[in-house]
Amino acid sequence: MTGGRLHPFTLLAIAAALPALAWILPAPTGAAWTATIALALAATRGIRRGLWPAVLTVAPFWVFLLLLHDVPTTIAIGLRITTMVASFVWLVAALEPARLVEAMVAAGWSASVAYLLAATLRAVPLLKTRAQRIVEAQRCRGLSRRGGMAARLRALRALALPLVLSALHEVDERALALETRGLVPGIRRTPLAPPPDPAVEQAARWALLLVCLAALVRRFIVPRFI
Amino acid sequence: MKSLTLGHTSFWYPATESPALRDVSLDVAQGEVVALVGALGAGASTLLLVAADLAPRVTGGRLAGDVARRDRSGIVLPTPWTQTSGMAFTVWDEVAFGPANLGWPTREIARQVDRALERLELVSLASRDPATLSGGELQRVIIAAILAMDPGLVLFDEPAAELDAEGARTLWRLIRLLAGEGKAVLLATSALDALPDVADRVVWLESGAVRAVGTPDLLAEVAVCDAGLGTSVATVWRASGLLEPYPLTVAHAVQRSQ
Repeated sequence: MTGGRLHPFTLLAIAAALPALAWILPAPTGAAWTATIALALAATRGIRRGLWPAVLTVAPFWVFLLLLHDVPTTIAIGLRITTMVASFVWLVAALEPARLVEAMVAAGWSASVAYLLAATLRAVPLLKTRAQRIVEAQRCRGLSRRGGMAARLRALRALALPLVLSALHEVDERALALETRGLVPGIRRTPLAPPPDPAVEQAARWALLLVCLAALVRRFIVPRFI
Repeated sequence: MKSLTLGHTSFWYPATESPALRDVSLDVAQGEVVALVGALGAGASTLLLVAADLAPRVTGGRLAGDVARRDRSGIVLPTPWTQTSGMAFTVWDEVAFGPANLGWPTREIARQVDRALERLELVSLASRDPATLSGGELQRVIIAAILAMDPGLVLFDEPAAELDAEGARTLWRLIRLLAGEGKAVLLATSALDALPDVADRVVWLESGAVRAVGTPDLLAEVAVCDAGLGTSVATVWRASGLLEPYPLTVAHAVQRSQ
C-alpha cells in the first residue's frame, strides 16, 4: 500500500487514525505497532523521500525524551511521536494536493478551504526546494556551511533571512494571482477530474473510524465498569 | 463603450503617507489598447492593481476617487512562477484552474482552455508539468490561463519580460487580436519599441501622476525622450544630434532622411 492511487480522503484517514491509535492504545505494544506501520508506509515512498526524513525528524525527540524521562516513558512517548511524524511524512509524500482539492470540491467543500489545506501540505517541499536554491546561491558567493559553531550560525542566518523574506514576498504575489484566477471565498468550483472513491475505500474509512472509537471505549470507558 | 474608468483616483499603500497614484483620470474603451509607460516606481503596476480591483481589496491601503469597471478583468503579473496555481500536473490543468473556479460547465472550460492554448502556441506543451517549463513558456501559460477566463478587460504588467523576441512578437499580435475582438487592454511595459504597432494610446506616468496622454507618437517627443522613454529610433536620432521632430520608428526615420 504505497498510497499513490488511494482516494485522498483515505490517505488522510490513515494518516489521522495511526497517531490517534498510537495515543489511545496501551504503550508500548500499541504504539510499537502503529509506529511500525507508519514507518513502513513512509518507507514505501522511498528511503530518501519517506523513511529517512521521518527518522531524521524524530531522532531529536528521542534524545530529548531520554534526557528528561526514564527508559519506559521514553519508549512509550517516543513511539507515539514516531507514529505522528512518520504518518505525516508519508502523507506529504503520498498525497497529491491537486487530487485533494478535486476530491474536496467534488465532496462539496469550499474550494478556498480545499486550496488552503492542499497548500499547507505543499509548503514543506516548496520551502525545501527554495532553501536548496538559496544555499547554492550563497555557496557561489563564498559562504561555507562547514567550520565551527559561529560559521554554521552565520550560514544559518544567510539561509533563514532570504528564505523567510522571499516566502513572504511570494505569498503577497500569489494572493493577487489566485484572486485574479477566481479563487475567492464562496465560489462553486467545477471539479475537473474528481478522483474515484470506490465503495471499498469508503467502507475502510468508516472501519478506521470505528476502530479508533472502539479503542477509545476499550481504553477509557470499559475499565470504569470492571 | 468604456470598460474601465478612473476618475481623480489616488491610492496609498498601507503604512505609507505619500500616494502611489495621484489624481489619475483615465478610461479604457472596449477594443482599445492603452499602454502605460514610465520610470520604475511611476505607478503603472499600482494602476493595474487598482484597475483589477486588487488594490486596495487584497493589497490593503486606501483608495480615493472613482473607479468604474464594466467588465470582469484578468491581470497578468510580471513574475510567472508566483502565478501558478501549484495544483496542476499539466499545462492544460493549469490553464483550466481559473475557468474551473468560475464554475463553468466542463465543456465550456475545455473549449476556452483549448482556444487559449492554441492562441499562445502551447498545444504541444499541454501535457507537460508546469514545473518543468522555462520562464518564457510559463509566462505564455499564465497569459493563456488569464485569457481562458474570457475577461473583458485584460491587464498586462510587463508581459514580455520573460519572453524571447519571437514570443514577444506573438504576444503583441495577440494583444491586437484581443482588441479586435472588443476586449479592452491596459498594458504596462518597458518594451517601448513595440508600442507604435500595439497601442492606440500611450499614458506617460511620473511619480504616480499622469504626465501626458497621446497616440504612440508621444514616444518620439522631446520631453519623453529626455525622460528615457522614447523608442530606440527616437533615442538614437536624438543622441546623434539630429533635428526634431524625432522619428518614432525605422520607417519614419527612412522617410525623414529621404
